[in-house]
Amino acid sequence: MKVEREELGRNIERAKSSGYDYLIKITAVDYIDNVTVIYFFRNLAEGKDATFEVELQPSDLWLVTIEPLFPAADWYERELQEMFGVIIRGRKAERLLLEKWDGKAYPLRKSFEWGKEYTSG
Amino acid sequence: MLTRINIGPIHPSTHGVLHLVVDLDGDTIDNIEPHIGFLHRGVEKLVETRMYMQSPPYMEKIDYVAPMSVDEAYVAAVEAALGIEVNERAQYARMILLELQRLASHLFFIGALTNDVGQMFTGFMWGFRDRELILRLLEEATGQRMFYVNMRLGGLANDFPKDFKEHVLDTMNYLSGRLKNYESFLEKNPIFMQRMKGVGVLTKEDAIAFGVTGHVLRASGVPYDVRNNNPYYFYRKLNFREQTLSHGDNFARYRIKIMEMRESIRIIRESFEDMPEGDATGQMVKLRSPPVKNKTVTVSREAPRGEVMMYLVAGDQKPYRLSMRTPTFINLHVLNHIAKGNRLADLYSILGSLDVVMADVDR
Repeated sequence: MKVEREELGRNIERAKSSGYDYLIKITAVDYIDNVTVIYFFRNLAEGKDATFEVELQPSDLWLVTIEPLFPAADWYERELQEMFGVIIRGRKAERLLLEKWDGKAYPLRKSFEWGKEYTSG
Repeated sequence: MLTRINIGPIHPSTHGVLHLVVDLDGDTIDNIEPHIGFLHRGVEKLVETRMYMQSPPYMEKIDYVAPMSVDEAYVAAVEAALGIEVNERAQYARMILLELQRLASHLFFIGALTNDVGQMFTGFMWGFRDRELILRLLEEATGQRMFYVNMRLGGLANDFPKDFKEHVLDTMNYLSGRLKNYESFLEKNPIFMQRMKGVGVLTKEDAIAFGVTGHVLRASGVPYDVRNNNPYYFYRKLNFREQTLSHGDNFARYRIKIMEMRESIRIIRESFEDMPEGDATGQMVKLRSPPVKNKTVTVSREAPRGEVMMYLVAGDQKPYRLSMRTPTFINLHVLNHIAKGNRLADLYSILGSLDVVMADVDR
């Protein structure tokens, strides 16, 4: 289901209260003209999955953290910041989880250049 | 006053390259920060530069203790994107191989766990010796002990060799007897039980909130197994039952693995009975029907360590994007929560019971 960034928090809260209380994964795809962030949720009792897709403009990449609702989001959000440069608002400053190029390169974006030497941050 | 100690990155009990920064109050754990990423190889990015069927060798290195399980999930995602059917014999053959892989992985877990709780060397040797029997069967079927790369679109690289069925069933008979030995050897051992019972407890509510998967989720009383709740191949037909316990401690996580091994043996026996005659071989590439560009598929599989989910966005000849949900990435995240308040000496058994493989965490 496609949602707007402003509607995302409210939608996720509503999904959680209706039984979709298990976060499977947060991931993203770089479609060049937009970066789509995808949230996968599951209703364990009924075995149903639900997804929320948020399209973000490459010049305006930010989202609000859902960690207070879903502790599982912690490492996925950190991964999203490092791999796609999507800034997650509401998180405290943390060390890098997987990458070493802080703000210099986002490996899973299509603009990442193979063979170029990025300096570590 | 808190003391900070560093465990790893190179340490026999961290199951690979994991660095734990542990804050201690006396010898009680106050906080753990796992530093991961030492084995990060960027597989998701590498896959974008390879043709579809050039990637399985990379997939096998994601979880090197159960290589076939991740490989199969990837090939299944490609099959779903390209619209390729798997014939009935090949489906049964894959189920048998995947369950053999699960047995090998669980036996590895038992061996490594007994090592972690200080039970050197008997449990370790037993686990690895019996795992070797399974690896021999897999070598007979695929030609390799560990990195098989035997999944092809629509089937396998080779059909089963002659006499394979008899060899597997002989080993299954032997192994179901061996499981009793493991139980009596470990569960009557007071040192093992002290390290396992009531240690590292994860409640049902927290298991759901932290999104854990596989045996960690089922040990906390959540009956979710992809093979049962979202069945693929013929698991529905085999009357598969997922194994659930409610205590959520180390012991429950260990028990789930033993119970799952019994279930796997049953699945293998029944699969051989139902398996039809025919040809299980698939093909390397099939580009007659090129994929729909930007078609997305989601495929979930129950790997030995939990649910592997592949989210594939198909490109022309290569994947446009492949996102993997590897089970131990999220199972390791819960370590800080369940180890807090336990003694430092119990940290290794808690980490061991989560059954993390660092290559699977870091991808």
